[in-house]
Amino acid sequence: MKILTRERLVGLAFLAPTLILFAVFVVYPIVYNVQASTLDWDGVNAGTFVGAGNYGELFQDPTFLITLRNSAFWIVLTIIPQALIGFLLAVALNQGLRGSTIYRAIFFIPAILSPVVVGIVWQRILDPFNGVLTSLGKAAGLEFLGGNYLTDPKTAIFAVIFVNVWMWTGFSMLFYLAGLQLIEPSLVEAARIDGANGFQTMVRITFPLLKTTTLSLVLLGIIGSLKTFELVYVLTQGGPNHASEMLPTFAFLEAFQLQNVGYASTISVVLLVIAVVSSLSMVRVFGAGFITGDEK
Amino acid sequence: MKLRKSLAVAVAGAAAVGLTACAGGAAPTQNGGEGDADTVTFRSWSPIEQTTRQMIEAFEGENEGSSIDATIFNYPEYLVDLQSRASSNTMPDIVGLQPGALTQQYRDNLMPLQDCAAETWGDDWQDRFYPIGIEQSRMGNPEGDENFYSLPILTQTVNLWANSNIFDDAGLEVPKTWDDLKSVTEELSGGDAAPFLLPAKDSWLRNVVFLQIANNVSPGTVYEAEDGTIPWTDPAIVEAFSYWSKLFSDGIAQDGAIGLDAYPSAVNQFEAGNAAMIPLGAWWIQQSDPTKSDIPPLSEGMSGYEPFLFPTIPGGASESQFVGGIDVSLGISKNTANPDLACKVLTDFIAGSGAQKLVNTMNDVPAVTGLSPEEFTSEKQEEIWNLFVDEWLPQVQYSRYFESPKLDQAVADALAAIATGDATPEEAAASVQSVQDTLN
Repeated sequence: MKILTRERLVGLAFLAPTLILFAVFVVYPIVYNVQASTLDWDGVNAGTFVGAGNYGELFQDPTFLITLRNSAFWIVLTIIPQALIGFLLAVALNQGLRGSTIYRAIFFIPAILSPVVVGIVWQRILDPFNGVLTSLGKAAGLEFLGGNYLTDPKTAIFAVIFVNVWMWTGFSMLFYLAGLQLIEPSLVEAARIDGANGFQTMVRITFPLLKTTTLSLVLLGIIGSLKTFELVYVLTQGGPNHASEMLPTFAFLEAFQLQNVGYASTISVVLLVIAVVSSLSMVRVFGAGFITGDEK
Repeated sequence: MKLRKSLAVAVAGAAAVGLTACAGGAAPTQNGGEGDADTVTFRSWSPIEQTTRQMIEAFEGENEGSSIDATIFNYPEYLVDLQSRASSNTMPDIVGLQPGALTQQYRDNLMPLQDCAAETWGDDWQDRFYPIGIEQSRMGNPEGDENFYSLPILTQTVNLWANSNIFDDAGLEVPKTWDDLKSVTEELSGGDAAPFLLPAKDSWLRNVVFLQIANNVSPGTVYEAEDGTIPWTDPAIVEAFSYWSKLFSDGIAQDGAIGLDAYPSAVNQFEAGNAAMIPLGAWWIQQSDPTKSDIPPLSEGMSGYEPFLFPTIPGGASESQFVGGIDVSLGISKNTANPDLACKVLTDFIAGSGAQKLVNTMNDVPAVTGLSPEEFTSEKQEEIWNLFVDEWLPQVQYSRYFESPKLDQAVADALAAIATGDATPEEAAASVQSVQDTLN
């Protein structure tokens, strides 16, 4: 009994540094945010307790509903194209193409750039007044290239999503490339001997074997989508008229421009709940194996 | 299972510890500021880093043994820093502020400055400042509170700028009326340069252009709506929204205006000669900073620019109105350990040797009268400077700010909705009124 207790204490002692860090940097901010979400508070002066009032207000706030819609668009329209294009690029680069290392670097460069830089560059490219695409469109007679993609409330969020996909596809490609290089060549060889063509091999052998990679990318994509900030802030500032607002840009606007820290905390708590529920749902449906690399 | 329980207890314990430093309290006030006896800390977003260093050197040169520990941020980062520091009792001794909402948010953490001002400049100290600076310094104070919690360091008008080369080449004059604006825009359209470059992505810029229009439609009426005396749906305000709408529907603003930011995109375009007119403000003169080298040709001595006021509106005021106010002001932490030194630094930055360094860079128009740059690089630059300091600033009567950040955002949103066709001027006015109703 004593040994068991001692073992437990030793175990806890080993866990203590992690637990302390977890408590300080994860638990404390969450508790602080949850508490702040029950206040009418500007972040500096004494707040007033409003209970669930901020939540009631938030769920009726049209901007909040726009951010939820935009998050849904972002998750679907980022993760699927990014994974698909990333997979195809990885397959192409895995064929032993000449100069594949250079291509790999080129495709991956956007992922290591600052989103602020990417935002400024794409803003210039998409500027309908005299941006690169507009000039190109005029020269080539393709007027649609000079459209108001970032400034039209109907297209702004999709334009930002497009830039995000451009930025992060190289990241997906690298994940898939790493996965592809772990696939036993004999499996592909066996499929070919059995008469599978290139497309069949890719769809029925290679892609299923990359299931854990795909699921990891989906999980990272969902979390990344929910916490996206810089690109939206630089490209559109969440506008025009909140049309491309996301939960983090909305929280920033409320906390630091409108001096409404209580309300911004409410947004953050809702964001946290959505992120946790999404992640747990993924783990529940697919098992934790896709994170560890083990099958369910 | 038991280990799980232990973990749960540990996590709950951590949560309880977390709650001991809970959200929602006012910033603690028992301790002093950060600096030691001969040092004051200064944090702001303005003046820019390079200029601030020169100001500090000037002050420290005149005050042996005293030092200033300064950090300059971008504005959004500064807001985050200031809020975090105020709520953790690490507020700097001197802070950069904007009049109205930002100063009011930190009012309880700030020291009243009128005694510091009177000791430094005498009892008639207010006469040294432009009237709009004094008026705005107390914007939003509770009724009966006559304290100055911040004092302006830089002031400005908001106005339009013309590329005088483009106007000269086309044989045109800068527009004085709305009809002039339309005809000039028509004359200049089709060329390489945008006739009227409107960087309407920024909410502050949408609002200052609207305030110029609104005051030209009916001087001062918009502030009556702001204080609830009249509704936002008042015909004069709806008309102002309509003229904002016409900037887009009449083809005055360039295509995609609502997606163009002022900094860096629009100003780069304007400085490169790609626009004939742009709405900015007096601070544009900083492009010709005599202390800088490698200045673009248009900005060299302000050779390619001419400031002018937003054109008059048919049926509105007969003359264009002056809109402007404080660019940046300074406050002192109530808990500073060095109130005397902080006062000395603040007043030096406003009207002493530090201020002279600031003015030499033409960062903006100083808040006090009688300060001029030691060097002008052209007669035109000097003429423009004198126009601002002698003629325009003393006449500024209307604020470029709204007091409430919520109302400020509501107006900015309404203007964006009009620009994108999501709302009519009437609907936009009603949407601002609905926010106003929540404030009253």
